[in-house]
Amino acid sequence: MTRTGWVSAFVGAGLIGAVGLGLAPAQAADKYKIYLSMSYIGNDWQGEAANMVKAMAASKDMAGKVDLQVQVSGPNAQKQIQQINAMVQAGAKAIVVYPISPTALNAAVKNACSKGVVVVAYDAEISEPCAHNVTIDQAEAGRVTAEWLAKKLNGKGNIVAITGVPGTSVDTERTKAAKAVFAKYPDIKIVNEAVGLWSQAVARTELSKILATRKWDEIDGLWMQVGCYTANSMQIEAGATADKLKPCAGEGSNGGRIQMLPANTEVEGANGTYKPMSAPRISYASPPYSGALALKLAVQKLDGKEIPQHTTLPLPLVTNETIKLCQEGTWAEMKSGCNAFKPSLVSNPGWFASIFSNDTPEVGLNAALVGQPED
Amino acid sequence: MSAASLDRTEAASSARRRLRLGRNRGPIIAVLAFLICLGLVKGVSGGTLGYYELSTLAAGGATLAIAAIGQTIVILSGGFDLSAAAVISLVNVTLAGHMEDTASSIALWTAGGLAIGALAGAFNGFFIAILRLQPIVVTLASMFILQGVTLLVMDKPGGQIPAGFGALLVGDAIPGLLPMPVLLLLALAGLWLLLKNTVFGKAIYSIGSDRDAARAAGLGVRRHEFFVYVLAGALYGSAGVFISAQTGSGDPLVGNPMLLQMFAAVVVGGTLLGGGRGGPIGTIFGAYVLMLVVNILLVLNVPAFYSSIVEGAILILAVLGASITHSSVLATTLRTARRRIAAHRAGTLPRQLRLEEHRLVLPAATPRIDRPPFWVRHAEGLRNALPAFICFALVLVVTHFMLGSSLVSWRYYDSLIVLGSFLAILALGQGTVILTGGLDLSLPWTIGFCGILCAGLLKGSDAALIYALPAVLAFGCFVGFCNGLGIVALGISPIVMTLAMNGILQGIALVYSGGTPDGFASPGLRWFMTGQIAGVTPVVVMMALFVIGAVVLLGKTAFGRRVYAIGNGVRAAELSGVPVKSTIVKVYVLSGLCAALVGCLLSGFSGQGSLGMGDEYLLPSIAVVVVGGALITGGRGSYIGMIGGVLLLTALQTLLAGTMLPYATRAILYGTVVLCAVVALREKNS
Repeated sequence: MTRTGWVSAFVGAGLIGAVGLGLAPAQAADKYKIYLSMSYIGNDWQGEAANMVKAMAASKDMAGKVDLQVQVSGPNAQKQIQQINAMVQAGAKAIVVYPISPTALNAAVKNACSKGVVVVAYDAEISEPCAHNVTIDQAEAGRVTAEWLAKKLNGKGNIVAITGVPGTSVDTERTKAAKAVFAKYPDIKIVNEAVGLWSQAVARTELSKILATRKWDEIDGLWMQVGCYTANSMQIEAGATADKLKPCAGEGSNGGRIQMLPANTEVEGANGTYKPMSAPRISYASPPYSGALALKLAVQKLDGKEIPQHTTLPLPLVTNETIKLCQEGTWAEMKSGCNAFKPSLVSNPGWFASIFSNDTPEVGLNAALVGQPED
Repeated sequence: MSAASLDRTEAASSARRRLRLGRNRGPIIAVLAFLICLGLVKGVSGGTLGYYELSTLAAGGATLAIAAIGQTIVILSGGFDLSAAAVISLVNVTLAGHMEDTASSIALWTAGGLAIGALAGAFNGFFIAILRLQPIVVTLASMFILQGVTLLVMDKPGGQIPAGFGALLVGDAIPGLLPMPVLLLLALAGLWLLLKNTVFGKAIYSIGSDRDAARAAGLGVRRHEFFVYVLAGALYGSAGVFISAQTGSGDPLVGNPMLLQMFAAVVVGGTLLGGGRGGPIGTIFGAYVLMLVVNILLVLNVPAFYSSIVEGAILILAVLGASITHSSVLATTLRTARRRIAAHRAGTLPRQLRLEEHRLVLPAATPRIDRPPFWVRHAEGLRNALPAFICFALVLVVTHFMLGSSLVSWRYYDSLIVLGSFLAILALGQGTVILTGGLDLSLPWTIGFCGILCAGLLKGSDAALIYALPAVLAFGCFVGFCNGLGIVALGISPIVMTLAMNGILQGIALVYSGGTPDGFASPGLRWFMTGQIAGVTPVVVMMALFVIGAVVLLGKTAFGRRVYAIGNGVRAAELSGVPVKSTIVKVYVLSGLCAALVGCLLSGFSGQGSLGMGDEYLLPSIAVVVVGGALITGGRGSYIGMIGGVLLLTALQTLLAGTMLPYATRAILYGTVVLCAVVALREKNS
C-alpha cells in the first residue's frame, strides 16, 4: 500500500509538474499584477468579453504597466470565492471580475478590499460597497425596449416575452421593468412567456414550443432578452415576407443588427437569414466592452486616480433609424456612428455587436474577435 | 508457542493489517491527493502556507464537503441524490430572507435550515424507501420542485445574513490554531465514526452492498433507507446554513452548479458508486481536492480556454492515483496486455494455434414450442413503457382543452416530434449506457463541440455535408471510444470519466472557436430541420426510421442482448461469454455518436453552432430514460418506453410554454408530473 501510494504520488506530481513547467508565469516585478476572474467562459458573450479584456491589457499604454492573468472558475460561486481568495494570496494589485452572483462573493471581496486590492466588477454587480461596478442600468433596458414595442404596436396587440436566466438580478430587473410598462397599456397582452436563458439556441426551442399551439398570425410583437435574430429567421422560414416581420425588442447580436438594415443593402457575406431585411427592431445590449473598461478603471485607480464606485454605462440602443453598417470596424469608424458588422467579418450572427465605447479607444472589432488592440 | 503457530498469528495479523489498509485505501488516496495538490500550490507559488491561508481554504471548501458527506451516505446505501444542490439553494434563500441579528433568531433559523433539509430528505425517502421508486428519478423530480420553490421564496439574489453569524461559522474556533470550519468538519467526521458502529451505520453499508441479503438478515431495510435520505437532507441543509454564513446573503442559484462537483468529490474520496464501499472521511478530502484545482489553475497560470481541460485531467489523475495497485483495473489491463504480447511472440495465442473444431453439433430441429402471444411475451416491457404513454395521452388532452385544438392539428405533432427528436436520439445513447449500469455526463459538450464543428466545417455549403457530417460523427465516436476506454481499461468510474471528458471537450471547443464560433449550417441542413414537405418536417421522417433502427438494435441484435446481459449482472454476463469490455466501449461509442448527431441537427435547427448549446440536454436525457421505465442500475428498459418518456416530457414542456404560469410554478409542475409518472410505474410486488 505505502509503495503504491508513493507511486501514485510521484505519477501525479510528475504529470502536474510537467504541465506546470510549460506554463510557469513570467514574473514582471514592475508591472501591476492584475487578475481577471471570469466565472464562466462557455458562451459567446463571455468569450468576446474576455477577448476585449486581453486586448485592453495588450494595448500600447497598458502593455508596459499591466501583467494580466485570466482565470476561469466555472459557474460556481464557491469556486469563484476560492479563486478570489487565491488571487489575493498570490499578490494581486487589482481583480477584475465577472461575478457569478451579486451577493455570494461579498465576504471574499470585502476581504480583498481590506488587503488593499482594487476590485472592479463588470456587467453583473457585486453588492459589497467596497467593490467598483461597471454595468448598464438593467431596469432602464427593460423599460426603454418595452416602451418602444408598445409605441410600435400603437398600444395594442399580443406579445410574446422571452426572458433570461430565472433567479438572476439582471433578468428579474429587466423583466419587471418591461412588465410595468406593458401594464400601462390595457390592450397589450403578454400571451406567452418563456425562459430563454440568453441563448439564441434556447430561444428557438422555446419559440418552437409556443408555436406548436399558436400561429404567427396571433402574435403582434416580441419582447426578448435574446432571440430577435432567431425569431425573424423563424418567420422567414415559416414563409413570411420581410415586410410582414413582427416588431421585436431585443438583444444586440450582429445577426439581428444586419437584419435591421434596409432590405436592399448590399452586404458582403450575407447568407440565409443573416442578411438585411428591414426588420423592425430595437436592439439593446449589455455591452461586452464593459470588462475592458473595468480593467482600464482598475489601472487608473492603481495609478492614484479616483474612479467612481459605480459606472453606469450608456445603454447601447440601436433602432432602424440609427442602424449603420461598418466597413472595417475600427474604433474611429464606430465613433462616427456605425454599429453593425459585415457577415464576411463576423460570421457568427449570435456575436454581440455593442462593442463601442467612447471611453475605450484601445479596442475595436479586432479586439472582440481575436483579442488584438487598435494601434 | 510453536514456530508454526507464531507464523500463523503473524500471517493473520498482517492479513488484518492489509485488510484494514485495503478498506481505507479510498480515504488514504484522497488524503494523499489532497497533500499533493496542496504541496503543488505551495511549491509553485512559493507563497506562504500559514494559518490564514489554511483557514481561508477550509472555509472555501466546507460547503461542498458538508453537502458531499450527505451525498456519500446516500451513495453508500446504494442510492443517488440529485436534489442535494437544490436543497442548499432553498435553505440559503430562506435564511437570507428571515434570519435576524438576534441569538434566538439565529438559533431558530439554523435549526430551520436543517429542518428544511431533513424535510426534503423525508420527501425523497418516502417515495424511495416506502414506495420503492428509483432514487434518481425521485430526486430529479424533487430537484425541479425545490428549484421552483426557491424561486418563489426569492426571485433574485438579495437578503442579508447577520454578520455575526458569518463570523461565528467562518471565523476561528481557537484563534490562530483552529478555524471553525475545520472544527465543524471534525465534528461531523466524529459523529460519522460514532454512527458507523451503530445498527443504522452498519445497515447503510449492508443495504448498499446487497439489499436482498440485508433484508434476509433481518434489517428493516425501508426504515433505514428512509432515514438515510433524512440524514442526507439534514446535511445538505447544514451546507445551506454554512454557505449562508459564508456569503452573508441569499442567491436562488447558488447551490445548483455544485451538483456534479459533489459526485466528483464522492468518487475522488474513494466511495464506490452503487454502494457499500467508502465513507465520508475520504469525501471531505475529495471535496478539498476539487476546490484546490482552482488554486492549481491559478499558480500554473493556465490560460482561460485550457482551464477546463486541465481541470478534467486533474480529476482523472486524482482518481487514477487510487487505482495504481496490483489488483486495479489499470494494472490488470497492463498485465493482460503484456501476457498477450508474450503469448503472441511465443505463438501460443489461441488464434495462432490452428486448433481443431471442438464445437458441439446441435440437432437441427427442436420440437416447436407454441410461442405465447405478443402481449404475454412482452408483458413486462409493456408495463414499464405504458405509464409514460398514458401520461403523454393525458397531457395531450389537457393541451387540447387549454390551448385549443391541438389533438387534431398535425402542426402540433410535427413540432412535437421535431423538438423531441434531439432527446429521442440522445435517449438511445444515454439509455444504452444506463442499461449497462453507467451514465454519460459528457453529453453537453459533445453536443456543443460537435455542433460548432459541424457548422465550422460546413460554412454554409451543402456540398461540404459529404465530408463534414461523417467527420463530426466520427469525432463523436472517438469521444465515446475514449470514454469507454477510460472506463474499461483504466477502471475509472463512468461518472468521473465522462465528467472529465465533458470539461476537456469544453476546452477543445473554446480553443477551436477562439471563444467566438464561426461558420453556419448549410441551407440543406437547415431545411432538414425547419423546412416542410407537405406539412412534414424532413427530420420527422428520419426519426421514424431512427426509432425502428433503435428498437431493432436493442431488441433483436446480439449487441442489444449483450447490453441487457451486462446490465443484469456483469459477472454473470462475463461468465456466459459476453465480451463485456468491448461491449461497454461500443455502448459509449454509440452514445458519443448519438450526441454528435444531435450536435449536427441542433446546428441545423439553430442555423449555427454556439458555445453551451448542449447544456440544456443532460438532465432531460437522463429523465426521459428513467421516465420511460428503464432502471438506472441497468438491465431493464426498452427504447419504446424511452420514446414515451420523450413524448411525455416534450408535450409537457410545450403545454407549460403555452400557459402564462411563472417559471417557478412550471418547474414545480414539471417535477410533480415526472414524479406521478414514476409512481404509476411502480412495481407492485417489491
